[in-house]
Amino acid sequence: MLRFLTRRSIGALFTLLIIAVVTFFMFFAVPGDPARLSCGKVCPPESLVLARHNLGLDHPIFVQFVQWLAGIFVGRDYPTLGHCPAPCLGYSFVNKEPVFAAIVDRLPVTISLTIGSAIIFLVFGVGTGVIAGLRQGKPLDKIASVSSLIGASVQIYFIGTLAVYFLVFQWHVVERPRYVPFTENPLEWAYGLLIPWIVLAVIFTANYTRMTRSTMVEQLSEDFVRTARAKGMSNRTVVLRFALRGTLIPIVTIFGIDLATLIGGAIITETTFSLQGIGRLSIAAVVDSDLPMLMATVVLAAAAIVVFNVIVDALYAVIDPRVRLT
Amino acid sequence: MSTRTRSVLAVLAIGALTLATACSKGNAGGTTAGGSPGASASPTNLTALFAPPKITIGTADDSKGPAIPPEGVVKGGTVNMIDRDDYPHLDPGRVYDNVTANFHLMISRGLTGYKRVATGEYKVVGDLATDAGTVSDGGKTWTFTLKDGVKWQTGEPITSADVKWTIERLFADFPIEGPPYIQQWLTEEDFKKAYKGPYDGKELSNIETPDDKTVVFKFNEPHADANYAFAMTGYDIVPKAHDTKEKYDKDPVSSGPYIIAKHVLDKSMDLERNPNWDPATDPIRGAYPDKWHLEFGYQSLAVTDRLIADAGDDKKTFSFYTNVAAERTQQVLQDPALKDRILRQPSPYGDYYYFNLDRVKDIKIRQAIAYAWPTKQIQTVNGGPDTSVINTTILNPSVSGWQDYDIFGFKAHPEGDIAKAKALLAQSSNPKPTIVYGYNNTPTQQRETVAIKNQMAKIGVNIVAKPMDTKTWYDQTSKVDNGLDMYWGGWGADWPTAATVFPVIFGPVRDGGYNQSHLNDPAVTAEIKRIMGLSDANEANQAWAALDKKIMETITPLVPALNNLALQLHGSLIGGAENDPISWVISPNTIFLKNS
Repeated sequence: MLRFLTRRSIGALFTLLIIAVVTFFMFFAVPGDPARLSCGKVCPPESLVLARHNLGLDHPIFVQFVQWLAGIFVGRDYPTLGHCPAPCLGYSFVNKEPVFAAIVDRLPVTISLTIGSAIIFLVFGVGTGVIAGLRQGKPLDKIASVSSLIGASVQIYFIGTLAVYFLVFQWHVVERPRYVPFTENPLEWAYGLLIPWIVLAVIFTANYTRMTRSTMVEQLSEDFVRTARAKGMSNRTVVLRFALRGTLIPIVTIFGIDLATLIGGAIITETTFSLQGIGRLSIAAVVDSDLPMLMATVVLAAAAIVVFNVIVDALYAVIDPRVRLT
Repeated sequence: MSTRTRSVLAVLAIGALTLATACSKGNAGGTTAGGSPGASASPTNLTALFAPPKITIGTADDSKGPAIPPEGVVKGGTVNMIDRDDYPHLDPGRVYDNVTANFHLMISRGLTGYKRVATGEYKVVGDLATDAGTVSDGGKTWTFTLKDGVKWQTGEPITSADVKWTIERLFADFPIEGPPYIQQWLTEEDFKKAYKGPYDGKELSNIETPDDKTVVFKFNEPHADANYAFAMTGYDIVPKAHDTKEKYDKDPVSSGPYIIAKHVLDKSMDLERNPNWDPATDPIRGAYPDKWHLEFGYQSLAVTDRLIADAGDDKKTFSFYTNVAAERTQQVLQDPALKDRILRQPSPYGDYYYFNLDRVKDIKIRQAIAYAWPTKQIQTVNGGPDTSVINTTILNPSVSGWQDYDIFGFKAHPEGDIAKAKALLAQSSNPKPTIVYGYNNTPTQQRETVAIKNQMAKIGVNIVAKPMDTKTWYDQTSKVDNGLDMYWGGWGADWPTAATVFPVIFGPVRDGGYNQSHLNDPAVTAEIKRIMGLSDANEANQAWAALDKKIMETITPLVPALNNLALQLHGSLIGGAENDPISWVISPNTIFLKNS
């Protein structure tokens, strides 16, 4: 296991480096001059030169990348902004604040959004899928299949906007979504994120229901399940110890990807519910041509994918005894 | 002027569809709450619908505090404000956009500013200065005297040394975002080359401070409206003793009615009263609420729905700049319950469809296109008369001295005068011209382009439509050799006179410049220079208005675009909310909380 984790970690770092290089160089391939955007409307030539210098854009692109990379490990000094301590992901072109501080500030919102919704969609998605699989062809199965099809068809900006409009503004059932830190008030934290969690869960639950149902049906027809039944095991034991275990393999795979995607920034969800998380930060970075912020959010999203992939691979061995990590 | 979206150029490209492009700081005013004024007027008649603001120069008496209170004013309480973006700069020297300038009214003060006298009526008055400045030497020398009792939040007095320092520090390497005017007038166009700022001990000799109260500016040329320029937030005063250079942008020292008690970047800001601000010295800011709670990160639809619902604390909530979301526009306009909470105001910016005079050389072709221009059709695809009004002049009606005219019948024949256009084309050098029309590749602009193409086909003009990327729009159209015959462009005055309009949009023709029609007429250039040299502001304003009409009559370098209407809502307990006709956002100066 240790060898496996070490090898995968080294591979993950290499992957992140490639992503960082590609993102950095792609930024400069896109038209538009961040220095011109940060200079005033009437920008004399010398002011433009200073703007480039202040943003660290007056060096060759390769040097800029090396400076950015070195800053992560040893910090970095900016001509007019001062010292940015390690891990320095740069100063935001727009906010003139260290990017790392902004990420640290926004990450709790995104993690809260992710954890809450993940618990809901995992429990309901897998639960409904298992029941539908066990009741194949019965009314319960049909209801679950139709519901999940509808859930998978709607979009967050549609259902989210409707939910806020009716539940908050028309019927006053709940208050508008907001983020209160968990450490400040756990109840308010959960209450404030309830609608985003439910809306997000509606979308994701559908996929898990469909995936769980089809895999469960498949598992129930496997030889080892038939053997277990032939040995006289109870239906409960057969389902929970054998069929469900096999069902979880693809579920864990998509769960890892979904979790990583959400932590990388649920852009539409955060925008729909006016939550200030990583997603909003990344979309603002794109709009404002804010390279350091863009780099940080892209690398964070990539890191989440890579890390969860490693975790998922490790979990395979726990769930399925046939898998051995080497 | 620059942008709220932190992207000046992008917004100049996108134009008045966004609120972003803005500039000079202004005082509250404009149309009052209560829906669209002049209901009986034609919906396309700009003059009848929204009277342009009257802006004059105030006296020393006008410059005395306190500010004129709005009707029914109540003091105290905490006001909430929600918008999309936080402010990019807290150092006033780095502020050029309208929204940030509007916020700065609460924490910083300049030599001059705009005082709201009545609805739609403003005066340029002394803010920290005792009056709007004394001009001498034919407009080259401006003298200001500071008021007694003006202090920093620390309790220290604001002195002439602070004023001199404020201007000198704008030459340093870090403030690059603000306006350039005063610096250029004191030195040269590329002013950062001429002087490197005061931090190494060197001073500008043409800013004199004979005593603690007096500051004298000696410009190289006459500038009749320097007091307008000094009213820009970019020239608000910074304390010499507490100037922390770049760090000042995060931790400014207040001279205004409030201090920043707490600021979580991009999320929220709380303001509390500045105990050292004396309303008796301030003719501009009412500062009626005790506290302000500002929150950021809200999109237009979220703001609109909260303000429509008007529940709980949202009754005490408004937005400085967020407009009603497009999908709620009709609902808001048609709901009688919302009538008293609606604010509407035309844009103070100039938006144009420029002709490239290097390519469309025959004035008869340009004028034929202008006569046939499908103004009404464009208005329809942009949301109809509820969302815009028809403009007919180069100068925006909010500019001092603006005079109305309608040479090409944009208002008289909003659907286009086909017969007149055909007649003119028949006399031209090419009765069947082809026009390469560059447009922003957005859904609205696509529909607009179809309307233009169809209309021009009726008079025999073949439009070759060229879609262009929004983000690089300005970069492409501002090239001298841009390969286009006609394209959209926007510009807004940095203060409400034409002195920052004509010299720019008809200034030097160069790549990256703002003379997008490439107008290079010696007579126009000479007249611009002559007017810029006038020391009498009223005379200059009249001359600008005459030049406006003359350019359209004799050159026709552009077709004026629609003037978009801001549509905003506020909570039911918000009083004194007015959309400022100069800066096109709701000013904090008159805001108060009604008794619940």
